[in-house]
Amino acid sequence: MNKTLFQVALLFSTLSLSAFGGGKVVLPSMHQSAVGEYHWMGDEDFVNLFSISMAAPGPSMMVVTLVGLKACLPYGTTMAIIGALVATLAMFVPSSFLVYFAGNWWDNWKESPWRHSVMDAILPISTGLILAATWIISKTSIHTIPTAIMGVIALLLMLFTKINPVLVMGVSGAISWVFLK
Amino acid sequence: MAELLGLFLFIGLTSFGGGITAYIRRLVVTQKKWLTDEEFLPGLGLVQLLPGANLVGLAVYIGNHLKGPLGSAVALGSLLVCPFITTCALGFLYFHAGKTTDTKALLAGITAAACGLMASMVFEAGEKAIKGAFDVFLIILTFLLVRGTPSFELLHHRIPSIPHLSVPMVILIVAPLAIWWHRPRPNKELPEQNGEAKP
Repeated sequence: MNKTLFQVALLFSTLSLSAFGGGKVVLPSMHQSAVGEYHWMGDEDFVNLFSISMAAPGPSMMVVTLVGLKACLPYGTTMAIIGALVATLAMFVPSSFLVYFAGNWWDNWKESPWRHSVMDAILPISTGLILAATWIISKTSIHTIPTAIMGVIALLLMLFTKINPVLVMGVSGAISWVFLK
Repeated sequence: MAELLGLFLFIGLTSFGGGITAYIRRLVVTQKKWLTDEEFLPGLGLVQLLPGANLVGLAVYIGNHLKGPLGSAVALGSLLVCPFITTCALGFLYFHAGKTTDTKALLAGITAAACGLMASMVFEAGEKAIKGAFDVFLIILTFLLVRGTPSFELLHHRIPSIPHLSVPMVILIVAPLAIWWHRPRPNKELPEQNGEAKP
């Protein structure tokens, strides 16, 4: 039990400090650890938890809360809540300290041309990681033609309209519930 | 301070999916006028550069800017408390009742849309990232290194997929290459980015 909690804390604090380019980039890494290494859950649970976190309010990486919850769920409800709490704090506190302490350093660096270099370098890497994350989620969840069509429609809506993403997910869920059950 | 707490409670409850940074800018800069654009945009650049969710980083930055360390802590805490409770509640709901055909169908639809949402983020991130052919190469290289060998694609059985390289390893390989490529060059005009507007 303590071992799992320790693994949760270690994994998410590591991810917290390696999430260059926003929360979503850690998804492939989290998948590798939570499913492949620690066997806290299978692919299907992982993807479902991700969708739930996307549909719920909050910062982009609330899925860590659910992964922590699931990791500790075998030890009871209280432990699951503690696991969720540990995961959330481990994910969001270390990076917050970094932002807090980096403020001054950042200001001193304002004029350095290397600042642009680092930013330009991070962008393609984070894009590659988001692409990998998209691939992991799609590979596990899109098995049928209707779900593929809904995915593509959602993509087009997101790209070409200013529609609220939660509305898209809600409607898509409702359509699936009514027609694909 | 109470206002800070209230605002980030509100943001925590109302922030979904993408476009959050624009939403915060509107609330904090345009409506409340707590920060000017000159103060907000460097912070945005900072949190985009540093690891971590941008929304969380912005909360810490804004909190610190207004009320110091305690402000940071209040902003972070109030941002996370409501999402934490709702997410946990949904998680328990899923594990207790998530295996029925109803919820499975519902989740299949939500997930399909979530895939589309994620894919749209690839486009959005790519649009900012791609300044030349080498950036496309970096994106594909990162993707392939994380994804692992092509045989990985054939695993539609429930075999735990063993990707080629762990993500930190991939970053260690690709980042020096990327920074080297984008190193400051005397005759290269520095591109302006959002969040980088110089005073």
